[in-house]
Amino acid sequence: MDKARLGAELKKIFPAERVLTGNLELKLYSYDSSFMARFQSFVPDAVVLPQSTEEVSAVLRLACAHSIPVVPRGAGSGETCGCLATRGGIVLDLSAWDTIEEVDTENMQVFVRPGVVHYKLNEHLAGHGLFFPPDPGSTRMCTIGGMVANNSSGLRAVKYGATEQYVLGLEVVLPDGQVINTGGVGCRALKNVSGLNLTKLFVGSEGILGVITKVRLRVWPRPKARGIAMAVFSELDQAPATVLDVYQSGILPSGIEILDSSAIQAINLYKPEINLPAAEAILIFEVDGNPASVEWEGRQIAEIAGRRAASVEWATNPQRMADLWRGRSVVAIAAARLRADGSRIFAGEDISVPLNRVTESLRRIKELSRQFGVTVVNYGHIGDGNIHTAPVINLESPEEVASANGLVDAIHRLAIELGGSTTGEHGVGAVRNQYTLAEHGEAATIMKRVKKALDPCNIMNPGKLLAPEGDQGSV
Amino acid sequence: MFEELPELKDHYLRCVRCGQCRSVCPVFEVVRNETATPRAKVFLAHMLASGEVKVSAGVAAQMSRCLLCQACTKECPSAIPVHKIVTATRSLLAREVPSSLQRIIFKEIWTRPRLLQLSAGLFRGCQNLGLTGLGNSLGLLPPALNLPGKLPSRQARSFIQEITKAEGTPKMRVGYFLGCATNFLFPAVARSTVAVLARLGCEVVTPAELKCCGLPQEENGQTEAAEALANFNSAAFQRLGVEAVVTDCASCSAALRESIALKGMEILDLSELLNDLLTGRHLQKINKVITYHDPCHLAKAQGITAGPRELLGRTCGEFREMPGANNCCGGGGSFSFYNYDTSMSILDKKISSIKETGAEVVATCCPSCTMQIRHGLSKQGLLIPVLHPVELLAQGLGIGF
Repeated sequence: MDKARLGAELKKIFPAERVLTGNLELKLYSYDSSFMARFQSFVPDAVVLPQSTEEVSAVLRLACAHSIPVVPRGAGSGETCGCLATRGGIVLDLSAWDTIEEVDTENMQVFVRPGVVHYKLNEHLAGHGLFFPPDPGSTRMCTIGGMVANNSSGLRAVKYGATEQYVLGLEVVLPDGQVINTGGVGCRALKNVSGLNLTKLFVGSEGILGVITKVRLRVWPRPKARGIAMAVFSELDQAPATVLDVYQSGILPSGIEILDSSAIQAINLYKPEINLPAAEAILIFEVDGNPASVEWEGRQIAEIAGRRAASVEWATNPQRMADLWRGRSVVAIAAARLRADGSRIFAGEDISVPLNRVTESLRRIKELSRQFGVTVVNYGHIGDGNIHTAPVINLESPEEVASANGLVDAIHRLAIELGGSTTGEHGVGAVRNQYTLAEHGEAATIMKRVKKALDPCNIMNPGKLLAPEGDQGSV
Repeated sequence: MFEELPELKDHYLRCVRCGQCRSVCPVFEVVRNETATPRAKVFLAHMLASGEVKVSAGVAAQMSRCLLCQACTKECPSAIPVHKIVTATRSLLAREVPSSLQRIIFKEIWTRPRLLQLSAGLFRGCQNLGLTGLGNSLGLLPPALNLPGKLPSRQARSFIQEITKAEGTPKMRVGYFLGCATNFLFPAVARSTVAVLARLGCEVVTPAELKCCGLPQEENGQTEAAEALANFNSAAFQRLGVEAVVTDCASCSAALRESIALKGMEILDLSELLNDLLTGRHLQKINKVITYHDPCHLAKAQGITAGPRELLGRTCGEFREMPGANNCCGGGGSFSFYNYDTSMSILDKKISSIKETGAEVVATCCPSCTMQIRHGLSKQGLLIPVLHPVELLAQGLGIGF
């Protein structure tokens, strides 16, 4: 179907102002936050902004009948080209469909449309003394639909886990336009083990199986207090060992972050007034709960960390907590500022490794950084083995871009070698699917069969998540 | 090709397109699609610089959808000055796809005080004859022409002397930058500013030849004209031996801090100076509920939020903070002329916030915001005055006109 006719057909489904077909408008839907999208332009044939399940169903029927790719999109804050039309087609920008339909406080759940922004949901829930615990760094812009599609998590995954643990049910429009409800039709129960768990199938499916149009989320009581402990280590190995000590003492912090020496240097260079001690690693623990338990756990952590750390500080005073957290909060921008001519790129940025191999991973990434001649800054959620590596390169240097691509590939392969994953939070999209077979073996072929069963015409977000055709999966 | 954009290359290359700007952009909040986001504008500038996109009316339309409120600049985790990228791009567009109307208004007329005065007089004449009302009702004129309301019959320059003596012992000599909007639309603000400063011991110097601060030119791509204005105005103050310049207009002070301040002059927002001068002074309280709107050019561009509130605290009976006081009102100088409907949708949110407070008076420090908020209130039939804090202060000091 040519673009003009596609536009005309879409305008039969949507009001004209919710169909974008101008060349310039479409170019502004060609990017997300990924490194790949810096160098390739993925311009869709049309963009629509649905506001109802019926509209989504109608557009999928149209796309199915004409084999047009359909790519669901939230805020476009992803780092994997997941929401980009890598094979053309229609982008469904669901971010404007942002109704919080119901907060069912009696049943501790909330019903939302896909475009609700994470922090706005939590602002709304705070009024009910509730919260939705997963907390991605993109809270200010990412949508719940995007979080579900990517099974997002964040700083507090140590204690609260990822999005999947909170999704009780979904309304999904299948590629042929059929609408289903997972988790039980009309169900408001918190526990339900009947039937195959289709909810879990769609969570993290990155838009390749259908379009999520409504989410039933479990919500939790909002913690009343929090505190922060910062421990400084002169030896890198002592940091993960301390994390293990804390776990073994029976304490589960809500977050445990690490800044390695590269991050400490970058922060001090960017904001000398933060003045972090020159160290091999800094750990930042966050504890939440009720005031008494927070105080007790914080002091325990300080005492335990003190056995290995050069120095430890524990704070519940909001100003001091903010001070202790400041290094962590600026590390991303500090990385971007490391070189006057450099830009931070999002690639190889999200590996996940077993807890007992975090130190080895950090060391090996530093070695790889030297080997490829690419500056990196390492930080991450050490509490669950999720390492964020931030390569900093001159985007205008083809040599540096090539080196960065080499480094990123090596980091991904390192993760698999160490028994981890190429991505702990950000997903696969079009930038990590070459590792799908290597990571999942035969399970990767079953994923393809599931995809084929639900989307025989392969219209839903084609070219993402699944191993490319002919991939032998060698690492 | 661009001249300005290569200088900004480091900025737009640094944009990782994370989208955090979506969370604060008032235009995106209303338009609700990616094309209206700040990062889209950075991306567009990048495409223009790389030649992937050519200058066109479509590009100009996209770039016009920015209030230059700087909310995104403040929010950006990569510290990208998005507003500078937008103004640089507009400057390029003005050269490559020149709009005669834009050039005539902002370069030829607005930079010449006499022509500007003549135009204001003509506009007032048309208002008096009912021609603007007729043009509007027939849809022949842009609806934004309603925004200024009925122009006052006297401009501030007609009654403000070049030198106003301090009352009592002079404490300091200060230059007063009388901006265009204050001069033509809100002469009462200028009258209060000069009277209050004089009452508090300032000799106030208002050079007769002052021209526009350059912000409207900058906003509309007339960069060279803006630079010429900055040079002219700083020379005017230098002629009168003034080193510190104060203004009651948030937009002027923001623009002056970026231009005249570079020439070694201290630029002060009126609230900064007045709070110092009022230390230890008792004022008569005004028995009204007052709320305050933060102009973007004051709060975001200059980080001034406490000063005006402190000033209001000295004079008002009861102060009630409005929700989202720091959110843009949708005025943005000439933004509403190009994007009236979007501007009005942003304004609606501001008016709702004001209504929530139950305030009897709205205070703000920017004539563009004052004009916009007055328009929004009057559209809803609300008879709530919008005043500059200095007008309330004049009352508190018992200054009568």
